[in-house]
Amino acid sequence: MTEMIQEILKEYNAKMKLSLKVCAHCSLCAESCFMFIKNNKNPIYMPSYKFINSIGKIYKKKGNVDLKMLEDMKPIIWKNCVLCTRCYCPLGIDIPSMISLARTICRMSGVYPQYNEIY
Amino acid sequence: MVKSKQKPLAEIKDLLKSYSSILNVGCGGCASVCLAGGQREVIALNNELSLLFKQEGLDKKIDGYTVERQCNVDFFQGLSDERIKKYDCIISMACGAGVQFLAEAFKSKPVFPALNTVSIGIDKDIGLYEERCRACGECVLAYTGGICPVTRCAKGLFNGPCGGTNRGKCEIGNEYPCAWYEIYERLKEQNRLQDIKKIQPAMLWKNQVLRVTIQEPYQERYKMY
Repeated sequence: MTEMIQEILKEYNAKMKLSLKVCAHCSLCAESCFMFIKNNKNPIYMPSYKFINSIGKIYKKKGNVDLKMLEDMKPIIWKNCVLCTRCYCPLGIDIPSMISLARTICRMSGVYPQYNEIY
Repeated sequence: MVKSKQKPLAEIKDLLKSYSSILNVGCGGCASVCLAGGQREVIALNNELSLLFKQEGLDKKIDGYTVERQCNVDFFQGLSDERIKKYDCIISMACGAGVQFLAEAFKSKPVFPALNTVSIGIDKDIGLYEERCRACGECVLAYTGGICPVTRCAKGLFNGPCGGTNRGKCEIGNEYPCAWYEIYERLKEQNRLQDIKKIQPAMLWKNQVLRVTIQEPYQERYKMY
């Protein structure tokens, strides 16, 4: 599992590194996220929070992640983000593609949402 | 959302008969939500096909990969040219738009659909979906009380009921409500019956009935449909 993750991290290394480095924590992306607005501006819905706590964590651990960590990440990247691609970053970080990358890594590890679950 | 349903296994198998290395690409969007072409369905179809090929003594390799959305190239991460090069053909478990988009992105590879795109519909229950929009491009819901005459009238009539309306039911069967009867009742309730008199230009639709999508595992549960 780790090898597959590392392979994809290698492919997108430059983009991830730059995205994580340039994020100024300005929170401007938050205002463009309807999930954030609709959830009483709860910071866990901020696009920056979502990408830093998903792909950011995977990147910092250099892909050495376990299933539990990916399972914990599942609500952040699936439930709290619908990939509407509307989040705006003044520094040009492509947040949706970062979240999508985190989803790809989860999928490669067999972690993905089940749409016939009863909520 | 777009509702789709898996093609019969025999049809998919027939599409793949001349290829030995196959990549099955799922879609994490609508196809996943309607339980037709998400990651779980990719794994299930691959297992079924592998078993079928094995039973027939065919030496074929089939891999699966699911992208977040096949209708948006930004989400094609991991589907690099290098990866695609390893395969003879691709099967797509997305709607018609996704299949076409994948075929456009990888022009040198044959891309086959594994699903039939059925409708734009609503979720009635898990695995049970019903059509509500035919994407006709001429939405008249504003004048029809939010009831679509294209999808809900068997003849897709735009300007009032035909002579077959019978006590709120359609002439094609008593189980089908007459859309125009419902439109009349709704507009009357909202005190805007004048809207029913707004004449809409005729459209060239063939006779159509409401299409319902029930996924295979839910056939028994919804057999009344």
